[in-house]
Amino acid sequence: MKHILKMENIVKEYEGNRVLDGVDFSIEKGETVSVIGPSGSGKSTLLKCINGLVKITSGDMILNGSTGMVFQHFNLFPHMTCIENIMYAPMKVKKISKSDAEAKAVSLLEMVGLSDKRDEYPNHLSGGQQQRVAIARALAMEPDLMLFDEATSALDPEITGEVLEVMKKMAKDHVTMIVVTHEMGFAREVSDRVIFMDKGKIVEEGKPQEIFQNTKSERLKNFLGVVLNDYVPQDTK
Amino acid sequence: MEQIFSYLPLMFEGLEKTIILFFITLALSLPLALPIALGEESKNKVVSFIFKTYVFIFRGTPLMLQLFFFYFFFPIVLNIRIFDDFQTACLTFVLNYAAYFAEIYRGGMNSIDKGQYDAAFALGLSKRQTLFGIVIPQTMKVILPPISNETITLVKDTALIMVIGAADLMKMTSSIVNRTNDITPLFVAAVIYLIMTFILTIISGRLEKYFSRYDERGE
Repeated sequence: MKHILKMENIVKEYEGNRVLDGVDFSIEKGETVSVIGPSGSGKSTLLKCINGLVKITSGDMILNGSTGMVFQHFNLFPHMTCIENIMYAPMKVKKISKSDAEAKAVSLLEMVGLSDKRDEYPNHLSGGQQQRVAIARALAMEPDLMLFDEATSALDPEITGEVLEVMKKMAKDHVTMIVVTHEMGFAREVSDRVIFMDKGKIVEEGKPQEIFQNTKSERLKNFLGVVLNDYVPQDTK
Repeated sequence: MEQIFSYLPLMFEGLEKTIILFFITLALSLPLALPIALGEESKNKVVSFIFKTYVFIFRGTPLMLQLFFFYFFFPIVLNIRIFDDFQTACLTFVLNYAAYFAEIYRGGMNSIDKGQYDAAFALGLSKRQTLFGIVIPQTMKVILPPISNETITLVKDTALIMVIGAADLMKMTSSIVNRTNDITPLFVAAVIYLIMTFILTIISGRLEKYFSRYDERGE
């Protein structure tokens, strides 16, 4: 198996604060990794270091391929329709033709179940629909690694399902993805590997059963005790 | 009443100057304001200081004083007159309005959510593509109302150029009034200015509607 990403001893400091404190992390092609942990544990920063939105302070990182990202607040381009949102980057960055971009966008909209919304503006859609368009937009660039930054945290509980369904479908299709999430159900059922982060460090790491049933560290036990009692900590940024 | 028709050709001559000044100012200051706005936002402190000083001076002094400066002071100091009264007026107006528009652009660009930049970056868009494809189109909706405002002010500001002797509508009107002791031309001029601002109001309303097409419904 080929590593798409390998990070060694990654440190990120913000004004003297160590947000990431020596993180070692790697992911293989086709793997789905969930990253869980309390607010401020460095999960989102880790993702942003991977695609370069945040510059690492020190450490080694090898990334074999391109990344795509799905954000907590969708960040769709509001002045473009759904299909334009999806077509824009492939046309501008990859310079593919308009007709090819459109064909691709149409199939992606179908995959996320929003074919009928192709000419709607994002602000006319529900949050769950917007996030599904955002997933399609990221996939249109055919990234080697998909990053999900709390993709369902800004959604009402009753509509997180539609977004998680799409993510499950992607995991089944062996899209390589790192999912920062508060959805323990998703982490447990869908991921190949779960990583628990706290205070900028990876505290525990393993297959879902090991993490959720044979929990070793006290910190993870405490965390799971809190979140599995239906308490979902909000990541305040 | 008949006398008015005898004044009209002269007034229209002035009106032509007014309209030319108006369009030259808009056509040059609107694009010129973009590099000024970007310069103000530059991370290079020297660059941003220069552009901010420019904007500070042009927004902080009366337009009439700027006209005097460029028409009288500059040619005297340099001992050479490059521009005639009307060209000087155009130059001053372009520099002045570019400063105002730059501030409007800056406010518009700062109103764009940081997530838009993150998304553009994550998709691999270049800075240029992000600016022209993502930021500026979204800025349009925010900056149009203040730009319409400035544009209407511009129509009325053109009347200032009579202070350096340029023969615009205001200058022509006031010289007719001085010569004939008949004040009706003032009313005619007022109506002409009102017609111009009325047309602008309609155009800006249409543009605002166009650029708001992607707004949330039910606002």
